[in-house]
Amino acid sequence: MSPASSLSVTKLVSSFTSGTQSVEQHTRAVLAEAREINEHYHYFTLICEQEALGYARFLDQKIKEGKAKSFPLLGVPLTVKDAICVAGVESTAGSRILKGYKPPFNATAVQKCIDAGAVVIGKMSQDEFGFGGFNVNVGLGYKIPKNPFDPDVCTGGSSGGCAGMTQKTTFPHLSLAESTGGSIVAPASFCGVVGLCPTYGRVSRYGLIDYGNTLDKIGPLAKSVADAALLLDTIAGRDEKDGTTLDGPCNAAAGIFADVRGLRVGVAKEAFGEGTDSSVAETVWNSITLLEASGNTHHECSLPVTSEYGVPVYYLLATCEASTNLAKLCGIRYGMHEELAGTFNDYFTKVRSNHFGVEAKRRIMLGTFARMMGFRDAFYLKALKARQIITDEYLSLFKKYDLLVTPAAPILPPRFAELKKLTPVQHYLLDVLTVGPNLAGLPHLTVPVGIKNGLPVGALLIANQGAEEKLIRAAALIEKKIRGSV
Amino acid sequence: MKFISDVVIGLEIHVQLDTASKLFCGCPAKSGSEEPNTRCCPTCLGFPGSKPVVNKKAVEYALRLCIALGCSLAETLVFSRKSYFYPDLAKNYQITQYELPLGRRGSLVLSSGKKVDITRVHLEEDPASLAYPDTLERSSFVLIDYNRSGIPLCEIVTQPEMVSPEEARDFMKKLSTILEYLEIFNPDTGVVKADANVSIKESGYIRSEIKNITGFKEIERALFYEVQRQKAAVAAGEKLVQDTRGWDSNKGHTIRLRKKEIEEDYGYILDTDLPVVDITPEWISTVTQHLPELPDEKVKKFTTVHHIPESDALVLAQEKMLAELFEKVAEKIDPVLAAKWLRRELARVMNFNKQTFRELLIDETHLIELLEMVSTNQITDRTAQKILEELMMKPFSPKAYVKEKGLGAMSDTTLIEQYCAEAVAENPGVVADYQAGNEKAFHFLVGVVMKKSKGKAPPPLVNQLLKKQMRTT
Repeated sequence: MSPASSLSVTKLVSSFTSGTQSVEQHTRAVLAEAREINEHYHYFTLICEQEALGYARFLDQKIKEGKAKSFPLLGVPLTVKDAICVAGVESTAGSRILKGYKPPFNATAVQKCIDAGAVVIGKMSQDEFGFGGFNVNVGLGYKIPKNPFDPDVCTGGSSGGCAGMTQKTTFPHLSLAESTGGSIVAPASFCGVVGLCPTYGRVSRYGLIDYGNTLDKIGPLAKSVADAALLLDTIAGRDEKDGTTLDGPCNAAAGIFADVRGLRVGVAKEAFGEGTDSSVAETVWNSITLLEASGNTHHECSLPVTSEYGVPVYYLLATCEASTNLAKLCGIRYGMHEELAGTFNDYFTKVRSNHFGVEAKRRIMLGTFARMMGFRDAFYLKALKARQIITDEYLSLFKKYDLLVTPAAPILPPRFAELKKLTPVQHYLLDVLTVGPNLAGLPHLTVPVGIKNGLPVGALLIANQGAEEKLIRAAALIEKKIRGSV
Repeated sequence: MKFISDVVIGLEIHVQLDTASKLFCGCPAKSGSEEPNTRCCPTCLGFPGSKPVVNKKAVEYALRLCIALGCSLAETLVFSRKSYFYPDLAKNYQITQYELPLGRRGSLVLSSGKKVDITRVHLEEDPASLAYPDTLERSSFVLIDYNRSGIPLCEIVTQPEMVSPEEARDFMKKLSTILEYLEIFNPDTGVVKADANVSIKESGYIRSEIKNITGFKEIERALFYEVQRQKAAVAAGEKLVQDTRGWDSNKGHTIRLRKKEIEEDYGYILDTDLPVVDITPEWISTVTQHLPELPDEKVKKFTTVHHIPESDALVLAQEKMLAELFEKVAEKIDPVLAAKWLRRELARVMNFNKQTFRELLIDETHLIELLEMVSTNQITDRTAQKILEELMMKPFSPKAYVKEKGLGAMSDTTLIEQYCAEAVAENPGVVADYQAGNEKAFHFLVGVVMKKSKGKAPPPLVNQLLKKQMRTT
């Protein structure tokens, strides 16, 4: 791992307030490195150089005016998943159909970061609309990002650009990612960074280009648990513009290094069974051992319904929701246009046929099918019921355990060549370890726990709804032990 | 459903609720004559990243209607997405209610006393409006105005229980009176539209749906036409098919828009951007407590408390502002006299001046002053009518006006006797006609005296004195 991982965001902020360097100077260096990295790794859909420098100069002015204290993320470089709207900056969710769409508003999460002094340096590569776990389903005309550890290996997805850049950059860095079925923790695991997906509703979805409205969560990717916690505290909270947000602030960063003892850790046996690569399972077990060494206990448990039905339930609900969310993209008000000819149906069909990628079309068709008359009861409504059973399965485990620990992915980060051999269903099945907490709206987090065959492995920690603090403290403990042992 | 009547009609009515802002964003909801696409934001334009947030006022308005129609209320407010591709839909789905409408199983009583069952009442968003540069058939493109996109609509669906176009019209009229009473609809700025399902016995009740009919008269016209069309088609040996039709008000006919061979599939799913809201008993009781008296209650009160004829009560209760004006005037004036004057004279002068109650410049104080003078014979009916006409132009104190212009009724019998004598002397021929038994001749003479008195002579007195005069000549 790069040495920069040890330089925290807080230290960077101090370097600006103490006058060691100006925000503009630093931002220029960050942008130069970003361009260089992007040339080889394709993490960005867009680097917003002018906007970043403009804001950096504004912050330098504020420092001069003695107002640095009101910016807790002063001058921190921030990358933003393309699906999260940044005002005036092209935001396409990685899809050609939205080329040219410059939202007239900031996502609430983005606005909060900017208000805290973070400098948005660019929009990040993703699977088109979040439709993938490996970031190979990029939109037409977009480049596939490469793993920072090996350019023949994928970054994981769908927030692959965010995860890759967070690992690759040598500067302190924060990233706003988004998860629907595992799109924060999966790429974090494959790129060896910390990914934190909060409780559903913890962070406003206002300004997020929707994939699945009951599943989408904006959350941090960072080089350390402390950085991730700091970013979560910045973006969490109730938002009038998103009726599904939860009340109350989040204070994850405050008690991060508090002593963690007496935690009951549940270990779902299915996650370490047949489908999971043994080297992955072994590495993740090490982290459970570390927790035990610090006065916590582990207990075997089981998630039978989630293991069997999680993936189909997730794909039914996510595609049903996605197929309605994507209906608005028809070349009328924004995004790609075509020549006006024929009836409106001809026009919509032409725009959508020409500019959606293959996986987007597949999911639109799947979702439309599952909510058609005659199938709706058997698929959509049944999946809604099954989702409740899955949620209850987790909630009953959290009556006994504080945390669940599993691998974030059943395999090591795969090579592009390997992925090409998989069918769509085989792709979907690799989400098996992450769809559960996403369906149940539980906060979950990936922390890097080791390197196997030169590629990173992440442990996935899952906590009860609203229990981000517990999750973060346990992750900080693992991180400390592992870094200490290197 | 088993039908027996010759004609079967069911209605689906869309009412634009009179809220300040739209259903899911803060944009102004009032329609007006301003520029297209000036009252919209990322949400009502369906921009990626925008989110809907429900307008509680619209929910409250819809609750008022549900309660007034005696519906059972849903325990929670849940919205769904109704998916179909059409240029007027900003998101290519409409946010509406599907499985769980706000109200179910209500009813409305027609003038005849017949009860029409209401299946459901729900909330949804209005789509944008489309403007065609030429006729629908000849336009090669269409313009979209999103000002309307997201205005709250309340949809009311009836059972197919009406048996004539007249009943459908009466239903619409009754409903619109209730909407006005509830203060949830403003006819000056809002629109009520109906889709009507109609079928006839001769065809075995094959339905046509007529879309987007505006106005009570129009609904009766459209349905009358459609019933005749269906009858003529069956008589000519044609086999009817289910279809959706449009009403061309100018040409006075319906035209087929599309055949309806299979039920349309809207692929409904929940709209989970809008969290489920509990409709609590507290909320319901607050809304119920603030519900105004409804037209039927007013009629009952007017006949039993004010003792006015039912025919007058029905007319007065038809418009909320008229009913309220009557109640205020009747506090000071004999209700029978007040009812007569409001129903006949006020209606007449307002109608002549094409004025609505909202535009009315006067209030109960003017009417009370005026009718006090009438009831105590200080002015004649004729004078009061003229003052009422003047009051339409600008408000003033009727008492001061009468005094200033000297319009008080004449109590000087000598002067009226003099006018009568003059009238008789000046029109010997007419007097002869009267004495020959022609009643009209008498009315003419009364008119002459009234003219001489400038309308100030009380007619009963003139009658009496004129007859006396002619007996003595």
